[in-house]
Amino acid sequence: MKRTFAIPLVLMSVVGWQVRAIAHGVGITYEATEAIALQANYDSGEPMAEAQVTVYSPEDPSTPWLTGAADESGRFVFAPDTSIPGNWEVQVRQAGHGEILNIPVGGEEGVLAASVDGSSEPGSSATDSESDSQIVSSTGDNLSLPQKGLMAVSVIWGFVGTALFFLARKK
Amino acid sequence: MHIPDGILPASVCIAGYAIAAPFAWYSLRQINRLKDPTEELPKASLLTAAFFIASSINIPVPPSSVHLVLNGLLGSILGYFAFPAILVGLFFQAIMFGHGGLTTLGIDAVMMGVPALVAHHIFQLRHAFRQKLGEKLATNVFAFLAGAMGLGLSAVIFFFLVITNIPSGFDAQTEQAAVYGLTLAHLPLMLIEGTFTLLLVAFLQRVKPELIERRG
Repeated sequence: MKRTFAIPLVLMSVVGWQVRAIAHGVGITYEATEAIALQANYDSGEPMAEAQVTVYSPEDPSTPWLTGAADESGRFVFAPDTSIPGNWEVQVRQAGHGEILNIPVGGEEGVLAASVDGSSEPGSSATDSESDSQIVSSTGDNLSLPQKGLMAVSVIWGFVGTALFFLARKK
Repeated sequence: MHIPDGILPASVCIAGYAIAAPFAWYSLRQINRLKDPTEELPKASLLTAAFFIASSINIPVPPSSVHLVLNGLLGSILGYFAFPAILVGLFFQAIMFGHGGLTTLGIDAVMMGVPALVAHHIFQLRHAFRQKLGEKLATNVFAFLAGAMGLGLSAVIFFFLVITNIPSGFDAQTEQAAVYGLTLAHLPLMLIEGTFTLLLVAFLQRVKPELIERRG
């Protein structure tokens, strides 16, 4: 995943109250800051397009620090206030599906990329990581497809085995 | 259709367990009353496997996609075995795939298990219409209805649970629209599951009728 920078645009309106010049000048400064890029997918791999996202800062876990929506491809980028270290809580929700994700901010965490799986349908999507970005997945389902398949087969075999056991006893 | 952890407030999750418990108890008691409770176990076990894997089968219904639930099918064929079967299936889905969740296991069991029991009773209604419609038609019609209604009821319960529990941080209207969309997407699924139940029942009727006829 590429390094993501959010660029806060600081719009400084200099309405001319000093009679210097008649102009609506705009000063724009920017700073490169750490941002958190979320990729919200259903576990079918489908993106949670336009899912609602709320972000809670560690200071106040009850009122949303930021609300927004993911884009068409389930992506959401925000720049947390790095002066508030701790676990930032991000909730992604769409149509009763969703997930809560805790993202540690502050310290030497670097850029975090987080993958949220909205537990609706199976089949997983893996996100590639670069060395400098850290992938945090909300639930334990960063399992590969063969792993999941094997798990499903094992469970099914358990049920079939149970059936065979009781069938055999009947005779 | 499964409600994962963290979507519903704790009180609702606890209420879910409180409602699911008596249904589980009643189902087990009904099973215990059978002459030989273990006789039905192979069938129940196999259909639990089917239920477990069904939710992995996605059916695209634009703009979203839904997955099979098969609770109406389980209700029709298993009767009171359906509730514990669904409970076990949900438990495995939650543990293995994080599909649903342990805190919401009670809620999910109510949402899918109770409609399964309703489906069982709908399917039993075929006996009342046997004279009027004829044996075969009555079985087919009520198999379809049971399959479709089992899923439909679940969708309705899901709808009310989610729509009444939108947390304050979210824009209620957007979320409501999304829930409406998802619930509507279950209409075609009702047809699919109804048809599937009908086909399976018709098949069993032909090859092994005692599988569906035994219990009254």
